[in-house]
Amino acid sequence: MLRIEHLTKIYGDKKAVDDLSLHIHPGEIYGFIGHNGAGKTTTLKSCCGILQYDSGEITVDGVSMKEKPLVCKNKIAYIPDNPDLYEFMTGIQFLNFVADIFGVSAGERRERIRKYADAFELTADLAQPVSAYSHGMKQKLAIISALLHAPKLIIMDEPFVGLDPKASHLLKTLMREMCDSGSAIFFSTHVLEVAEKLCDKVAIIKGGRLIKAGTMEEVRGDMSLENVFLELEEEK
Amino acid sequence: MTKALFKKQMMEVFSWLYKDKKSGKLRTAKGIAGYVLLYLIIFGFLGAIFYVVADGLCEPLVTMGMGWLYWCLMGLISIFLGVFGSVFNTYASLYQAKDNDMLLSMPIQTVRILLVRLSGVYAMGLMYELIAMIPTVIVWFLKAPFSGSGTVCVLLIPVVLSVLILTLSAILGWAVALIAGKLKHKNIVIVIVSLVFIAGYYYLWGQAYSMLQSLLLNAERIGGKMKTALYPLYHMGLAAEGKPLSMLIFTAIIGALFVMVYVVLSRSFLKLATTNRGAAKAVYKEQKTKTRSVGSALLQKELRRFLGSSNYMLNCGLGIILMPIGAIALVWKADMIQEMLAAVPIERAVLFLGAAGAVCLLTAMNDITAPSVSLEGKNLWLAQVLPVSGRQVLMAKLKLHLLLTLIPAAVLTVAAGWVLKPGTAFAILIPLAVLLFVLFMASMGLLIGLKMPNLDWSSEVVPIKQSLGVMLALFGGWAVIVAFTGLYVLMDSILKPLAYLLLVCIVLLAGCGVLLRWLMTKGAEIFEAL
Repeated sequence: MLRIEHLTKIYGDKKAVDDLSLHIHPGEIYGFIGHNGAGKTTTLKSCCGILQYDSGEITVDGVSMKEKPLVCKNKIAYIPDNPDLYEFMTGIQFLNFVADIFGVSAGERRERIRKYADAFELTADLAQPVSAYSHGMKQKLAIISALLHAPKLIIMDEPFVGLDPKASHLLKTLMREMCDSGSAIFFSTHVLEVAEKLCDKVAIIKGGRLIKAGTMEEVRGDMSLENVFLELEEEK
Repeated sequence: MTKALFKKQMMEVFSWLYKDKKSGKLRTAKGIAGYVLLYLIIFGFLGAIFYVVADGLCEPLVTMGMGWLYWCLMGLISIFLGVFGSVFNTYASLYQAKDNDMLLSMPIQTVRILLVRLSGVYAMGLMYELIAMIPTVIVWFLKAPFSGSGTVCVLLIPVVLSVLILTLSAILGWAVALIAGKLKHKNIVIVIVSLVFIAGYYYLWGQAYSMLQSLLLNAERIGGKMKTALYPLYHMGLAAEGKPLSMLIFTAIIGALFVMVYVVLSRSFLKLATTNRGAAKAVYKEQKTKTRSVGSALLQKELRRFLGSSNYMLNCGLGIILMPIGAIALVWKADMIQEMLAAVPIERAVLFLGAAGAVCLLTAMNDITAPSVSLEGKNLWLAQVLPVSGRQVLMAKLKLHLLLTLIPAAVLTVAAGWVLKPGTAFAILIPLAVLLFVLFMASMGLLIGLKMPNLDWSSEVVPIKQSLGVMLALFGGWAVIVAFTGLYVLMDSILKPLAYLLLVCIVLLAGCGVLLRWLMTKGAEIFEAL
């Protein structure tokens, strides 16, 4: 579903991402972990077309992000770590805007908004302006908007930050459901316990370079993910 | 502790002087000196206006033995200035201060926090009040007879009067907090109130001379009413005339009023400062969903952004209001205008050129596209992650500018046509020139916005009011008109007005073609790479 080949992104004279390659298949939840400033967000943003990369190739469902970004973006949903949404819109106006952009039919959007807004207990607040939302509510709205067009690939940057335990649990359940129905999820997190329980595969990045990737069992071995991560971090 | 709190408050109030709002960095000594000089010039310019008013009032009233009325009237003007200048600041600094929570969590009495906050409001009110009070005092010293006790009182009056301004600001600030919190369409209300204020200001300014005359003619009757209706100000006037007892009465009344308001405010301060006021919460009810095309959804988003910001509307869309007002004025005063134009020894065709220029001048008051790229700010990721091209996003911004400018421009052009009655050729070319000029300026604004983006702002005022791009777009429009006018003067002997207007249309058409091509290719690429 998502193929990253030799991705390199340079800021000034610093390589934020250095020759990174990853393949994420349909049905997989792929965790992406690394210390602050390791290059996770840069990689994720490059994958969804926010950042233009210096070299390498990213394809979504076989389509090049560089050559046909709009075709790729139609298949993707992105949830940033800090969702800055249009504060001059109400929640429902924002959802309708996103649905219009993705061409979601009236029936489908009504059904999905009802389903996800009810699940995240946001329905009553949809008439409120986004500016009145708390961080958690914005995060929920961003998640709902991301699910409206039933994306084939969801890219998430620290999706659990700001969510209450119930919403967190719900998101995990939804992630699993989405992948079971053939979608793929690529997300970054600092919560290693969550990654360990939720992910089928995991990749560890350090200083812009991929230092370990594979199935959870392959990466973890007999240790916990936390220990593996800390050990790799200490290695030069 | 109180000293530290006062110091913090004063640093906050005067931060505009020593800190650059945009970068957050401290200004250099030269920068501060330059800023002080700039403010002194503005202060002097505004003060000169009030000096003229004071000069017109002082001598006649002193001669009539009603020097106290001079103080009442100038006092009222100062109060208006002080209160209007600081009322919104009062609400923000009393109840919405970012450090309220921090200070309330510290071992500081609530009443002391309030007192410190009020000192900031007092300083702000005093600054605004002095714009009118300094000329008032100067004129008094120049025109009124000297008295020792009067001089002391005159120097004390601005300080005490500012306490009254503080008291009124505090009451109004509280009222603003209540009303603003309950308003549903706050931005539209702010725009309307601002426009009414601007219109009222210009009306009063236009009528100032006749009002002054009528005031002086009816001084005794007005004075009689003021004695009772504005009792404290009456005593303020008597104090300036050299009656220390009146100074005491004036100070006592103002002091008592302040203490009363302070007691009331201090009782409710904690609750007001920690309660998140807001309009009655709207509860979502599912409605019939209307789907839109991508272009229409993006245009609606731009429109919502425009209508969601009073700053954006007031600073970049004033032409939307001015053009229909111009149209109404033209139709209303049609006979007078036609008579006037008949008396002017200018060829009618040149008048039609002038009319086209005037309409274009008003359309140039709208510079909606110029800050639109920067206004994406932290939301830019949405435009980049959604399946929309830079071209589509830019087109939506362009369409909004055209929509909000061409409709009122059409109304004004039709009204101008109805009054001037141009022939068929001009009737076709004038609207065409206006249309092309608006398209040219909208595209130019977008180009400037793309070339000078500022996405890293914390207040939308920065891209809307404080950016070079917006200034360039606004004055650039006027510069284009001036350039075309100058060119006409140069080509007057070669080209007839109609032919010149046709040439202008061709030039604008070519300019629009070049700009639109750039926007849809290079411009779109720049936007996508921001």
